This record gives sequence, C-alpha cells and structure tokens, in this order.
Amino acid sequence: MIEWSTATPAISAAFLASVVEVVEAFTIVLVVATLRGWKPAVLGTGAALAALASVVVVMGPLLDQVPLNILQLTIGVLLLLFGIGWLRKASLRAGGVIPLHDEGAIFAKKTAELRDEVQRQRTSQDWIAGIAAFKAVLLEGLEVIFIVIAVGSGRGLLWPASLGALAACVVVLMIGAIAHRPLARVPENTLKFGVGVMLSAFGVFWTGEGLGIEWPGHDLALFVLAVLFLIAGLMSAQMLRQPLARNAQ
Amino acid sequence: MNILKDVLSELFSMFVADARLTASILAIVVVVALLIKWTSMPQLAGGLLLLLGCIAVLLSSIYREANRRRSPPEANE
Repeated sequence: MIEWSTATPAISAAFLASVVEVVEAFTIVLVVATLRGWKPAVLGTGAALAALASVVVVMGPLLDQVPLNILQLTIGVLLLLFGIGWLRKASLRAGGVIPLHDEGAIFAKKTAELRDEVQRQRTSQDWIAGIAAFKAVLLEGLEVIFIVIAVGSGRGLLWPASLGALAACVVVLMIGAIAHRPLARVPENTLKFGVGVMLSAFGVFWTGEGLGIEWPGHDLALFVLAVLFLIAGLMSAQMLRQPLARNAQ
Repeated sequence: MNILKDVLSELFSMFVADARLTASILAIVVVVALLIKWTSMPQLAGGLLLLLGCIAVLLSSIYREANRRRSPPEANE
C-alpha cells in the first residue's frame, strides 16, 4: 500500500526533475534532427534508451541486495550533494549572479558546434549527428535514473517514481512534437529551484534515517525539511538581488 | 572512449559541482554520524545539526560564489 505522504513528493520530484532533463535532451535531439534529419536523431535516441534500459536491468536487482540503512545513507548523501548543488545554482540564477538557462541560445550554440563538427570530420556525417543525440539522451537519462532511484528506493517507491519520470518524458515529447522548436518557455530555473529544494529535503531525510535518526512525524518531516530549504533558497536569492537593485538606482 | 569519458565526467560533475561544497557536506555527515555513534547526543539533535549544517553550507557556498563572480577580475587571480 502506497503512503501518499511519501509518494507525493517522490513522484513530483521525479516528474519535475525529469522535465528539466528531458527538455535539455530534447534540445540536442532537435539540433540533430534539424541539421541531419530525423533518422540519426531517432537512431541515437533509441540506442541511448537501450543503454539506459540495460543500466536499469543491471542496477535494479543489485539495489535489492543492499541493506536498507546503507542504501538510505548512500542515496541520502548523494542526494545532498546533487540537490544542494542544484539549489545553489538555481539560487545564483534567481539572484542574478549567473545568467538564466536559455534553451533557445543553447539550441543556436549546439547547432553551430555540431555543424562545425560535421564539416571537420571525414566519417559519416549522420554518424556524428547520431552520436551527439546518443550522448545527450544517455547523459540526461542517467540523471533521471539516479533521481528516480534516489527518491524511490528508500521506501519501495521505484515504480511510482518511474511513472513520474515517464510522464515527464511523454509530456515534454508531446509538447516538443507539437511546438517543433526548443522549449524555451519552460520555466527551467523555477523547476530546478523546486527540485533542488525537494532533493535536498530527501537528502537530509534519508541521510538521517540511514544514521538511525527517527524524524518526528516520520514521512511528514519531509515537508518541514523542504519548507526550510525553500526559505533558505528564497532568502539567499532575495539578498543576492539587493546589491543589483541598489546599483541600478 | 570519448563517450565513456564524457559520461564519467558528467557523473562526477553531478555530485561534485563545487569541490568545497561537496567536502563540507561530507564533513557534516561524518561529524553527525560520529556524534550520534560515539557520544550521548540525542538522535533528533543529530538530525537538527545535519539539517542546519547543510543549510549553512548552502548559504555560505552561494555567497562565496556570488562574491567571487562579482568581485573585479584581478581579485579572483
């Protein structure tokens, strides 16, 4: 029986994080399709999905062999490193310290890079384009797999978290197929901020459980942890914006 | 080999975006683990220390990076 107090944050974290990753992968696949047609884009994507599926098939049974507290501690620490890294970057972007992620600009830059690469190489141009799609989907897909395992494995929620990630893939691909251009209007930094908050909260929660800490309110403590990380992130972004506002006056 | 190198480098950068941030988080986890295991510190106090330590590390890392990027180029050399 699924406990929704844990399942809801796990599914939404997997969904939102996957939206960010799939949008990034979609931009590169679209670059490949625009330059060399859909054949290398689809072949590269298909090969990457097959590689990712084999990672899941190999990793899945191994996870069952790891004692729960060691799994929670390992995943918790990795989530802390990953989640706080995302929250840090999103806060710096929200505070105007580093530029916002611009899918349109990335599309233009990657198109120029791939065009140069294709012209420079003597091997099959479709092969190079296919490899670019393969790498993009593989790298972003590995992040999705990690997030699904991280938010889902501690409480046996791998399937619901996987469905959250799958739903993100379907939504992004449907919108991408209709729009047929980089999804620049996705609020990438807001999503990254939200996911960073959730992953950091999961990180503290699982690390604590792995160390034997019993959180008051059990799974509901996740919401409190998330609120505290949210406040910290928002406050730091707000304080970073103040010097900019003063300089503008 | 290039693909494998890129994958490994991406995996590494997933968790080590900033070396000092990574080292600080790991240090907090180790300190909390030692305090819980080797002292009579209540578990909940350990949890609170873990949470506050992580938030403090996050904030200090954000401000350090903001200062680094906003200071004149010669100050970063």
